[in-house]
Amino acid sequence: MPIKQGGFSRKSEASSKVPNSSMADIAFLLLVFFMVTTVFQKDRQRPIVWPEAEATMKIDEKLKNILNIWVDRDGSIFINDRPYEMVEVATIIGPLYVASDRALVISIRADREVTYLTIDLLQQQLVAAGVVRVVFATMLEQRMTRERR
Amino acid sequence: MAILDKKKSKVSDEVPSASMADIAFLLLIFFLVTTTFPKDKGLAIVLPEQGEDVQVSQRNILHMIIMPNGIVEIKRGESPQVQQVSPNAIEGLWRQEVAENENMIAAVKTHPDAPYRYMVDVLDALHMAGAERISLQLFEG
Repeated sequence: MPIKQGGFSRKSEASSKVPNSSMADIAFLLLVFFMVTTVFQKDRQRPIVWPEAEATMKIDEKLKNILNIWVDRDGSIFINDRPYEMVEVATIIGPLYVASDRALVISIRADREVTYLTIDLLQQQLVAAGVVRVVFATMLEQRMTRERR
Repeated sequence: MAILDKKKSKVSDEVPSASMADIAFLLLIFFLVTTTFPKDKGLAIVLPEQGEDVQVSQRNILHMIIMPNGIVEIKRGESPQVQQVSPNAIEGLWRQEVAENENMIAAVKTHPDAPYRYMVDVLDALHMAGAERISLQLFEG
């Protein structure tokens, strides 16, 4: 019977195995890191009071193809967290609409107390930019609240 | 003495921690699969393209003028008759109108000073009644 390694075998004190008891900890560390650094939406919610509508429907469009235009109670307009003047809207939206291959959907997120004049001017700007699909963002209204009104 | 009476137990008194990571990942995957992100919601409309001007017979137009106090004035075509209704009544009214004339177009004209929500109320009622031909305008008068 042949003797292994010519009979010379060295006893090593160091373990030849990679320690894997802390692997889960490393995985969780990575997980938590990515959770913290991930940003979903590019614009932040503005403090508006939503109008309510019973016919509220989900928009069947990819999230990246939806652009939010926020209209505050005082009529100021925000796109991607930056304030804009009404007359600038068409020049801002136009290139974005072309870049999106005409798939862009504009979600008008206006406060319920904004005067209609503001909304009409905004619509005119959108028409000038060539946008066709527009959504008036609303909250779903329940039958109960409607009947109480 | 009590200490001497103690038997050596073969059962470990530690909670097994080898499978804890597995349990954590199981929970994680469960929540990953069941989480849904809220989709954008609202009332969809299609704006007319620039320069698009369609002539429509006055017979097929139902004018709805939204006043700043939320009252809606209904006018049919060119007739001077005005009917005042609340936004809640529009759903039934529209169904009636479409039953009589299926080419009816809703011309929603909102007063510049009227709050946005009254326009949304009327648009909501029209959506609920299944209206498809809606024109949003500013009331000048």
